[in-house]
Amino acid sequence: MRVYIGKRLLEIVPTVLMITLVVFVMMRSIPGDPVVALLGDAYTEEDAIKVRAEYGLERPILVQYVIWLGKLLQGDWGVSILNGRPVLHDVLLRLPVTFELIALSMAVALAISIPAAIIGAVRRNTWADYTATTIAMVGVSIPEFFIGVLLLLTFSIGMSGALPSSGWVYLPGTCPTIVCAAGLLGNAQHVLMPALALGVGRAALLTRLLRASMLEVIRTEYVTTARAKGLAERPVIFKHALKNALIPTITVMGLQVGFLIGGAIVVETLFAMPGLGTFGIDAIIARDYQQVQGFALVTAIAFVVINLLVDLTYTFLDPRIRYTG
Amino acid sequence: MRSLRLATFIVFLASLAVIASPFFADAQTPKRGGTLRVSYGNEIANLDFHTAPGYEMMWVAMNIGCGLLNITPDGKFVSDAAESWSSTPDGLLWTFKLRKNVLFHDGTPVDAAAVKFSIDRLMDPNTKSGMRAFYESVHSVEVLDPQSVQVRLKHPYAFFLHMLAAYRTGLVLYSPTATQKFSLEDRKQGKPGSIVGCGPFKFVEWVKGSHLAMERFDKYFVPGLPYLDRVMIRVIKDPITEMAAFKNGEVDFIASFSPEHVDTMKAQNPAAVILTGKETTPMLAAMKVTVPADGKPMSKERKPHPIFGDLRVRKAIGCYGIDRKEIVKIAFKGQATPWVGMNPPGTLDTVDVNHLCPYDQAKAKALLAEAGYGPSKPLNFELMANTEKSVFNVIATVIKDQLGRLGFVNANIRVVDKVHWMNTTLQDGPWDMYVEDLLSLITLDSNAYLSNSTSTWSHPRHNDPKVDELYARYARELDAGKRKVIAKELVEFMADKMYWNNISGSPFYMVAQPWMKGYTYNAEFEVHYDKVWLDK
Repeated sequence: MRVYIGKRLLEIVPTVLMITLVVFVMMRSIPGDPVVALLGDAYTEEDAIKVRAEYGLERPILVQYVIWLGKLLQGDWGVSILNGRPVLHDVLLRLPVTFELIALSMAVALAISIPAAIIGAVRRNTWADYTATTIAMVGVSIPEFFIGVLLLLTFSIGMSGALPSSGWVYLPGTCPTIVCAAGLLGNAQHVLMPALALGVGRAALLTRLLRASMLEVIRTEYVTTARAKGLAERPVIFKHALKNALIPTITVMGLQVGFLIGGAIVVETLFAMPGLGTFGIDAIIARDYQQVQGFALVTAIAFVVINLLVDLTYTFLDPRIRYTG
Repeated sequence: MRSLRLATFIVFLASLAVIASPFFADAQTPKRGGTLRVSYGNEIANLDFHTAPGYEMMWVAMNIGCGLLNITPDGKFVSDAAESWSSTPDGLLWTFKLRKNVLFHDGTPVDAAAVKFSIDRLMDPNTKSGMRAFYESVHSVEVLDPQSVQVRLKHPYAFFLHMLAAYRTGLVLYSPTATQKFSLEDRKQGKPGSIVGCGPFKFVEWVKGSHLAMERFDKYFVPGLPYLDRVMIRVIKDPITEMAAFKNGEVDFIASFSPEHVDTMKAQNPAAVILTGKETTPMLAAMKVTVPADGKPMSKERKPHPIFGDLRVRKAIGCYGIDRKEIVKIAFKGQATPWVGMNPPGTLDTVDVNHLCPYDQAKAKALLAEAGYGPSKPLNFELMANTEKSVFNVIATVIKDQLGRLGFVNANIRVVDKVHWMNTTLQDGPWDMYVEDLLSLITLDSNAYLSNSTSTWSHPRHNDPKVDELYARYARELDAGKRKVIAKELVEFMADKMYWNNISGSPFYMVAQPWMKGYTYNAEFEVHYDKVWLDK
């Protein structure tokens, strides 16, 4: 098992390298120059040339990449071209916000999808099944920003400000800044709508997937055997069927992390959250290459690590699965 | 009987008013304390006030920093760190007397040396300040004594005080001690201690993507000010979220609100105080006049643009082919002024030249026919709009539709992001026409660096020296009456040659909660929170 984990961790290195290289090349290939954004109304061609030289932007792309990589190995993620802030500092400042958002979105998705899928599978072709399936279909079809706007209109504008529309309150003891709001209730109030906006779409997808998986599993012989042995329906469903049906669902959950990070960009912008999503989109719009690289790096690592954790989860769900070196 | 009842009722109301008057009077007495929560629609670029682009930074600089003087909405100059100023009759020598009690936030005095240091820094090409162009007329700055500083000009500059007060941020004084102690990078990222001003608020912290906080400077030179303890600025980019935050009372002040949502804001928040004023920002449909003759961007060797290099085409499309009234009606719901003149109606020395460009399809067709375009040879060009404001796309769409009515003109709309637009236009890239609102203009002179032939920001890249000559004459004329005459000549010339194709003014809105008191609206030019207080 340890050998397997070690191998998988080593595999992260080429994957992350590949992702960062692609992002590096792509960012420099799209039209736009961060120097223009930096100089703004002070722009002159002479100053632009000087600034490009200061940041090494006039060098060949691969040379720039190697330099960036060299600094990265020394723990230097670079500084923002636009505001001079250390990229790693800003990434670490924003990561907890996005991490909490994604974790809670996934929790929302599971809280909706598991019961809906079980009901749909156990009471197949009944009104309960049709309701769950229809809601899932609607959920999949509505984009996050639209759900977000609906939630805003309902809970922030429509219900006399029942929930705050924007901003962020940190969990107690996690304030990273001088001026900072922290509190459990405030945090819950601020994260609820974004997590719902992001989680509902994922819930819909997982419901459909888990329902199909459950339908397959409850027809298998070992489930029939469990019933024949006189086990009550509840342990049959939850202990025997659900655990096995969860394996493909968990695989998809891991893959969904990428979509959640993409969705976080939209949701964080809508709810004005100081997370990694807004950091990424601002960096891309300003062509702040260093920040974009930082964003790509952290999301690539997160994606690979989470998928590794997903693979390891299989062993707990199905003891027959064993990883060897 | 009925009139008796009415009289009794009136007496009752009057008595009530007398009894209640102390409460109302009390409500209008400024209260100290509280946090003003401000919403910005865009992120602050960085915090080096002399170089960072964007209004968002400027509105911070105006509250953390101080300058020599400020300007009121009616154009009067009022004292800031300078208590008085005077000039010689030829306008070449300006002397500023500084107040004695002005301190930077690091405790060092705001003296003549600090003023000289700040102006010299702005004029230094190594600073790469967008303000440098405005100081072209400055020959030197001399310290007379700790409280007196003298600025010698190379030539008279009628707008010297305007420039110091309100061109871009106006002059923001830098503490020499702090500037030498911290690096540019430190200032840009807002490192603790590096942002040192002499304004009413001290910098606390800037957490990009989250907030910028400033707090009262207790040793501010105006006794009793500011009233607020703290100002918290947050960035809320989505207008719907911004409106929800405002309705919930999560923000007290929206520093720049999109015109297309003003009606919704009014409907949702009848108590909201909508602040707006004379239009000072031009909304233009710029046409490129020349392109590099040698194919190298920014080359001084120019040749006419293949389409808009021909004045007849520029006039047909920009002057007669565009119905400005219809654009304003659709894009701004009528809340802007159709305006052909280069400087919008709220700018000093504005000139109405709308009669030069009436909407006239027949004239447009005739000019295009003269230039060789017609049904057998349609005119196709690219119309660029950027994603910064949705109104740009609306205007581009209306223009496309209006030109389509000519029968043989097709404007292909290309939507790009702001940085792409800036790259293309600033670096002399390939473009035909774009829709954009540029800098707010407090004077016609402040538009020189966007429209004379040598300016980097003169995107049409006309190379007509007459424009430069008119601008120079205008700026150097000290007689206000004669200046007006030159302004008229300049604006008419620009419209006649279509070097600057204005559509209208671009309205600017701020929104305040009813409990936010003491704020004086002065468009984008002066955004000060020193006299603001919260009546909660």
